[in-house]
Parts: sequence; structure tokens; C-alpha cells
Amino acid sequence: MSDQIHIYWFVLPLVIAISLVYAASRHESWPMIWRHAGRLSLMILGILIGTTVALLLINTQV
Amino acid sequence: MADVSAASPTSRTIVDLRNPYVAGFLAWLVPGLGHLYQGRRGKAALYAICILGLFFTGFILGEGKIVLWRWINPMQDSESFQPWYLGQFWAGIAALPALIQATLTHYGRPTMFGGFMAEPPMEVLNGLHQRGKLIEIGKIYTTIAGLLNLLAIFDAYEGPAEGGVPLPVPVRETKPGEESTVEVAQ
Repeated sequence: MSDQIHIYWFVLPLVIAISLVYAASRHESWPMIWRHAGRLSLMILGILIGTTVALLLINTQV
Repeated sequence: MADVSAASPTSRTIVDLRNPYVAGFLAWLVPGLGHLYQGRRGKAALYAICILGLFFTGFILGEGKIVLWRWINPMQDSESFQPWYLGQFWAGIAALPALIQATLTHYGRPTMFGGFMAEPPMEVLNGLHQRGKLIEIGKIYTTIAGLLNLLAIFDAYEGPAEGGVPLPVPVRETKPGEESTVEVAQ
């Protein structure tokens, strides 16, 4: 399966599930849950992508 | 019966937690079941889909051999200890067969359910290590699913974390000469 799907894609369902469950545990109203989950997903993905880019940049300099 | 008023900037919802202990236990047993018991159907569906979806996806990625437990002392045999199960356990009944099989094996009894979630032979486990990343992703998925269910259990037990304030406690009438006390639930 890993030949067909790049390993990085497995991060997406994990991030979405974590964001939704965390947001649902903090709010009772659905608009708040969706908004919080969306924000959290983007934040986690942003940090992951940022870290990857930073490590790649450092790696090319070494 | 415990009621929690979940306040948010846009809405204020009264949450009937019913019996929080029963709800917490049901939430552990099957992710979402505790919320279904409380009548919070939307959240029940969300937790069930996210947590069970993640758990069973990981279980399939791990070829059904990554959820297992051994009754051993981690201080004496850290190599054989299965730390992943400490997270997977919280997914409830989905991970429970591993605990039952390990207990049966520990007491020298034959395994049940056709060996489902029982410890595979060593050559199979060694073969799994050579499969690479998908097995590791399966372990991560199943463990995170269990840990996420802890949040769901807490939500079933105590209501949503933000803005959850208990309903006002009825003030008891004071008799003449008695000090007036108002109990405020924390």
C-alpha cells in the first residue's frame, strides 16, 4: 500500500481526527466545534510543514 | 442527574449528563456510547467515527497483530513490554480482547476467539518489524485513538471543557438565627 500512497498522507486523517475530537471535548455548539477543529488542523499542519521545510533547508546546508 | 450549562460566545446549551459515572464507563467501553446514553447523538457519532475509524484503520494497517499485551514487569523485561497497549486500552471493547488473551496466556489457559488479538508467534512478530512504516503507523493510529477516547470519556463525565458551569444550586431557606450559606459548585 505504501507504494501507492505516500507515507506523509497518513498524517492527514490523524490530524483531522485529533482536531475534531479535541474540539468536540471543549465545546457543545457545533459551529464552535467546526471552527475550533478547522483552526487546530491548520495549526498542526502548519507546524508540521514548517518544521519539515526548516529541517530540509538545514539538511541542504550540511 | 448532573446538568452542565455549556456557555460559548454564540450559544448557551444545557447538557444533561445523566449519571456521569455510567456515561464515563460507557464512553470507555464503546467510543460515543456514553454520549448516546446522554442523548448527545451528534457528538456520539463524531467520537465513534473519529476514534473507532482511526483505531480500525490502524488495526488493518498493522495486519491485526499490533494490538497486544503481555503481563510482564517492564522493569525486568523492557524489551518484551508492550507500551503501546497502555494507550490502545482506552479505545475500550475494541482493544479488550488483547487483555483477555494476555491474561489467559499468563495463567496457561488456551486463547479464545480463535486467537484474535493473542500474541502471535515470535517469527510473525519479527516479520512485522521488517514490514516497515505501515506497521508503525498502525501502532500510532491505534494508540492515538485510545488516547483520544480519554478526552471523550472526560467529556461524557464532566461535560465540555470550555464554558461549562454547573446550573445554580437552589439556595436552602435559612431558619432565624442560622447562618446563611450558599453552596457554589466548583
